[in-house]
Amino acid sequence: MAASGGRTVGSFLWKCGNCCFNFNTVSSNLTRQVLSRQLCVSAVLHRKNLAAAGPEKFSEEFIKKQVEEFNIGKRHLANMMGEDPETFTQGDINRSIAYLFPSGLFDKKAKPLMKHPDEVFPKQRAVQWGADGRPFHFLFYTGKQSYYSLMHDTFTKALAVEKHQDRLRGKDLFTQDAKQISLVGSRWLLKEELEELLVETISEHDYARFIQLMERLLSLPYCSVEEDFVQRYRRQLEIQSSKQQVQPLQYDQHGVAYSTGDGKQRKTATGTVLLRDSGSGSISINGTNYVHYFPVLQDREQLMFPLHFMGVLGRFDMQCSVSGGGHSSQAGALRLAISRAMLSFLSEGQVETMRQAGLLTPDPRIKERKKPGQEGARRKFTWKKR
Amino acid sequence: MAASLTGLLKPWTPRVLLVRWSRYNPYYLEPEPRKEVYHIPETELTPEQKEERELKSVRPIKAATNSVTSSVFNDPVLSKFVNMMMKDGDKIIAKGIITQTLENMKRKQVEKYHKAPEGKKAEIECNPYAIFHQALENCKPVIGLASIQKGGKFYQVPIPLTDNRRRFLAMKWMITECRDNKHRRTLMYEKLSQELLAAFSKEGNVVKRKHELHKMAESNRAYAHYRWW
Repeated sequence: MAASGGRTVGSFLWKCGNCCFNFNTVSSNLTRQVLSRQLCVSAVLHRKNLAAAGPEKFSEEFIKKQVEEFNIGKRHLANMMGEDPETFTQGDINRSIAYLFPSGLFDKKAKPLMKHPDEVFPKQRAVQWGADGRPFHFLFYTGKQSYYSLMHDTFTKALAVEKHQDRLRGKDLFTQDAKQISLVGSRWLLKEELEELLVETISEHDYARFIQLMERLLSLPYCSVEEDFVQRYRRQLEIQSSKQQVQPLQYDQHGVAYSTGDGKQRKTATGTVLLRDSGSGSISINGTNYVHYFPVLQDREQLMFPLHFMGVLGRFDMQCSVSGGGHSSQAGALRLAISRAMLSFLSEGQVETMRQAGLLTPDPRIKERKKPGQEGARRKFTWKKR
Repeated sequence: MAASLTGLLKPWTPRVLLVRWSRYNPYYLEPEPRKEVYHIPETELTPEQKEERELKSVRPIKAATNSVTSSVFNDPVLSKFVNMMMKDGDKIIAKGIITQTLENMKRKQVEKYHKAPEGKKAEIECNPYAIFHQALENCKPVIGLASIQKGGKFYQVPIPLTDNRRRFLAMKWMITECRDNKHRRTLMYEKLSQELLAAFSKEGNVVKRKHELHKMAESNRAYAHYRWW
């Protein structure tokens, strides 16, 4: 079983390599690097651009055959590894290939890969002209038919919205405060994403014109009529607060809840905090009381900032350790460590509030480097006229 | 999310180093450290505030600076004044001077309060923060002058000032006045409290300087059309 499985996988890979080799000689513009010793079509895998140049290289039946072979190969691979063929994911495939073909090579493009043919062979359009040589699409000779047809569609929609508005004005039902499309929380498609959608390469100028036209459509008061069309070209932005890593609460032997804030950097100062939910509000830094360690009021205020913001001033006991930097940076590092430790005690909404107050972002400001030809980061040498 | 957008969330140095740049990407928004803002219920928000909240939930936020807290004693105007008074990065001394100034002002006002007759007691302002803000307001110029070159000569043209510029000028005049025109034995906080109390009652050198600027602008009214913005 294993032997036959190996042969089938090998045959799949060999066939793949064979086809790729053929295409290497035929279409050199597809594979930029000439890799004659390929186990799989790795070069095409890493291509970011689309096969917009030229007619299709792989026919429909070829791709279908590749998909079938890939699926069969996947099942054989699952059997070889002793796992369930039904629930064999791409991650499992990658692991199995890395196990069966251990590669000490550094170049990612030289390592053996096994991926679904849709990811391997770039998306391309079917042949654009009929048997008599006449193209199907009326904009074929512009060279960018999908892009121009999209622009025409958008403009037609804008005209339709204007017509709708005129009709409403005629019936005296026109109001300025019609329902607007909500644009907060989403962004326009990027140029790469648009290229992927249209299966065509477009220039920066084209992309700018497209965005301009969409903005023009959105400037009409009744644009909510075409909301679906607009939303197709927008992507949702992810909610930032979901990116915070909240560690679960830990309990020590007396049942008191505690949590640690990991060492946080602020301008070469690192601090760690152990927050204990005991209710006394005592703070000790590197063994000494915080009043003695931070004689400056501003630093102590920074320590209190997250606690005061959440209204839990007297609740926590803190044992902090800090090193490096000056007194301000140590206070800043401790503030961030305290905020992170507090996250495990708070709810989702409170985490988002803390983030919006600027407590959870590590401060990226560092000392600016000295530049050559100047005395410092900004200070220039004394200017001498001669 | 495309790969290019994750690059916006790291501390960066811009490709072309301009004179004013920051380690934050322009994608980051300013933080809001005050507590009360977050306790307003949903129903009392205007549509713009709702939109702003939604925008804040998808954008990364900058870290709050060291001089900013959520406490009631945190005053952005006062922090700006402390920074302007600071020399060589010594904030401890500058903050100490300001604290002593406020205490001094309070002492003087309380003394005046106790000495005043019953009818006048209500008019005397004892809150040093209120005095400071009112004094600064009284020192802010309404109109400023800009040096514009036309036909080989430089003319002083009256121009409108932004809020930030006005506040900066008021603070700058206050500090330079206190540094230059004082007896060498008077301490800074003493002189500053005198000036602030004088500005509060619209007397003193700083208010005089503001009036002079206004007069100059009034006298140069003829050149106002030289301004093109």
